Amino acid sequence: MSRGIQKVKRKTTGVLFLFFFFSFLAVSQAGLKEQVFETVLPNGLKVILLENHKAPLTTFQVCYRVGSRNEAWGKTGLSHMLEHMMFKGTKTVGPEQFSRIIQENGGNNNAFTTHDYTAYFANISADRVQVVMDLEADRMKNLVLREEDFSTERMVVMEERRLRTEDDPPSLLAEQLGATAFQEQPYHWPVIGWMEDIKRFTLEDLKRYYQTYYNPVNAFLVVVGDFKKEDLLPRIEKTFGSIPRGAPPNQEKDIDPKQIGERRILVKKEAQLPSLVMGYHVPNLLQPDSYVLEVIAALLSGGKSSRFYQNLVQDKQLVLEADAEHALLSRDPDLFYISANSLPGKEVAEVEKALNLEIERLQKEPVEKRELEKVKNQLESSFIYSQDSLFVQAMLLAKHEVALSWKAIDEYLPSVRKVTPEDIQRVARKYLIPDNRTVGILVPLPPKDGQAPPVGSSPKERAVR
Amino acid sequence: MITTLRISFRLLFFLLAFWFLEGTLLATPSIQRTILPNQIVLLVSEEHSLPFVTFQLLIDAGSQKDPSGQEGLARLTAKGLLLGTAQRTAKAINEELDFMGASLDSSAGRDYLNLSLRVLKKDQEKGLALFLEVLTQPVFPPAEMKKEVEKTLAAIQAEEDQPEEVAEKAFQENLYLQGPYKFPVEGTKASLPRITREDVVRFYQKYYHPDRSILAVVGDITQEEIKTHLFPSLEKWPRGKIPEEPLKTEFTKGPKTVKIDRSLTQANIILGQNGVSRDNPDFYALQVMNYILGGGGFSSRLMEEVRNKRGLAYSVASFFDPGKYAGSFQIVLQTKNNSAREAITLARDQVERIRKEMVSEKELEGAQKYLVGSFPMRLDTQGKLANFLLQVEYYGLGLDYPARYPKLIQSVSREEVLRVAQKYLHPDNYIMVIVADLKAAGLE
Repeated sequence: MSRGIQKVKRKTTGVLFLFFFFSFLAVSQAGLKEQVFETVLPNGLKVILLENHKAPLTTFQVCYRVGSRNEAWGKTGLSHMLEHMMFKGTKTVGPEQFSRIIQENGGNNNAFTTHDYTAYFANISADRVQVVMDLEADRMKNLVLREEDFSTERMVVMEERRLRTEDDPPSLLAEQLGATAFQEQPYHWPVIGWMEDIKRFTLEDLKRYYQTYYNPVNAFLVVVGDFKKEDLLPRIEKTFGSIPRGAPPNQEKDIDPKQIGERRILVKKEAQLPSLVMGYHVPNLLQPDSYVLEVIAALLSGGKSSRFYQNLVQDKQLVLEADAEHALLSRDPDLFYISANSLPGKEVAEVEKALNLEIERLQKEPVEKRELEKVKNQLESSFIYSQDSLFVQAMLLAKHEVALSWKAIDEYLPSVRKVTPEDIQRVARKYLIPDNRTVGILVPLPPKDGQAPPVGSSPKERAVR
Repeated sequence: MITTLRISFRLLFFLLAFWFLEGTLLATPSIQRTILPNQIVLLVSEEHSLPFVTFQLLIDAGSQKDPSGQEGLARLTAKGLLLGTAQRTAKAINEELDFMGASLDSSAGRDYLNLSLRVLKKDQEKGLALFLEVLTQPVFPPAEMKKEVEKTLAAIQAEEDQPEEVAEKAFQENLYLQGPYKFPVEGTKASLPRITREDVVRFYQKYYHPDRSILAVVGDITQEEIKTHLFPSLEKWPRGKIPEEPLKTEFTKGPKTVKIDRSLTQANIILGQNGVSRDNPDFYALQVMNYILGGGGFSSRLMEEVRNKRGLAYSVASFFDPGKYAGSFQIVLQTKNNSAREAITLARDQVERIRKEMVSEKELEGAQKYLVGSFPMRLDTQGKLANFLLQVEYYGLGLDYPARYPKLIQSVSREEVLRVAQKYLHPDNYIMVIVADLKAAGLE
């Protein structure tokens, strides 16, 4: 969930300033350890710096180790609510002035919340980075939480939930899938929280949450760009060094026990085409098998020569698209997702069968050498391309740091390169099995009177009143 | 689909009200401009920090060239490039690209199409050969073309589930009485089945020529390599007689309201009217004006009034989308059904306000500082820089354009902002589209 998505789209070739973050881009390059500098200030604030002088720009990111995993039942979405409130000002900076100041300095800024962490970032001309630091240090300790700002911003968050979940069938399905696959683990609930919980938050909740999690000891900085470490570091120390350390919060969270049989859900919603999502419980990067799953995801859906595209989209013509995605960089074990939406007139059962066949093939047939090499090449080049953006580079470091350590980024390519055909068969047999999965199906309901006709019916003119 | 599963990493930045990349050129790398004998313009920017290179080719054959009744032909032709050549099937092309970890895409827009290749330095020659092969020797295999049409039709159907798309299509359709931007680039349910392979071949033969094409090359490549590997093949691309076809745009005279009933929790609203073309001399003043009105992200008036003060929307913004021809001006917002009327009134009030009162000194300065200061970020990746170069050339802005840009923005006065607001914004005549649960919105 982010604070500032702007859902305006246009049909031009023009550039939308769209930052995607594909998990398959989350690959690493040998040798970042040598380029990245890390230190921990006396107050516990970890600082991760990477010089990159390609352009006179810097991305400055402040990450707090708090996300929906830290929330309690009944107060889901509190992390994200606080993310929004972080723009409501401090003792010295007025509400909504933060972004205005950054923009007047030619910078862009925003924030987002995940299951695992909350990040605030600014991309700005390298010579203006002090402006960002002053503002970030200020709101790390001096945030002012006012009732009137809160009651309005809560409405904004509710609108965000309507926009991104309630009125979006695939999101709704994904949310229901998560709530079924995870029973004890906090990944059960969505990052934005349940609507009823959002209505329930109090200003007290936010104050307590801010005090608990927004402290140097529970935060880190990632700065990538055109600066000299010798110059920037003393300034960081000066700007952030005096903020009281705070107490380290409890970060131990329950993990779901082993799943003991397939779970299956239906979501019925007015929609044009049926779709399907399957989530398999899998380990994160703490276990080497996780890298094998990364390769499997690429085999299935990386590029137009991938198995899903070739077999399901092209040959069988069953689906509009089909994807596989692995959550390598989650802090707690997450899911391996397979998703697909049917082409008109195709049964979702048929799609599921075809997806299952692809999984079985992984288990039964060893991957051919050339195909495996191709997938590794794709993962490697994706990483190199991702280096082109300071923002993505910084975010990769942050994600690794949250999941384990930014240093793990250097393990990525070697770990991927090591994967053998036998590994793929073994891992597919271990995790990608029905007993370990939740299947979610979006069942399209016929539309209200006067709307677009349902799938397969005669094409009538849409009634536009 | 996947991005919706992972929830959090989809950030769409939209601070600039125009889709065009703008800015100063503090950090612009040096650009080499060459015109080959067959008239293709080549723009090269070397940057050697990462071992890959980006090629983007602009061909003047976007959906504005679609014949009436064959909407979607330009896009289908563009997609067809990658579906097979004299030597290779689509499957073989995809295999080869993926094995190199390269990406080759062909996408059509309203005005032009962009054929783009990103490839590692080590595979540069192979990648480039493939790029040129799909450009000059496509065969548009009937079976593949048929699949492409079917996929497009399915995608059009799936878009019905995205209320903002439904609203946008209805808006464009209703805004234009006629003109090159009336129909969606991908075509319509009615038009696509009418397009034959022969139409595609004819379209390709008519428009795919170097004469009005522009190639931008950015990244880890040298002039020497370009001369050796690119020039010879590129020069063989035969010139053609591309017909000049001035197109006429006619806008609907508002006011007009289009209501579309859906089972939704939010009303998706577009308020707008005719906009301008890119060569309009008021482009820069409009850019500043719109930043203050609704293009300036969290600093805009619309955001302040609708979101920050009242919590009525998560996202509210305004923009112009100028192209070679006049595009639209739009205010786009979503709000819970029963706030629809209030949000519409607020949005209209802000348009009235910027038409009546001069903006403050501070607002003007804020807009100018952002527009000028954020420039380097518009060129900070290979892809962004290549795209920028294509547009500079396409619109004839000149390579000194980036150096001139700060002045163009800084010379806009408060009076100018008022003047263009009065001249170009006419809220009494707006086309308004509302996709909502109309009963809940009280708009039945």
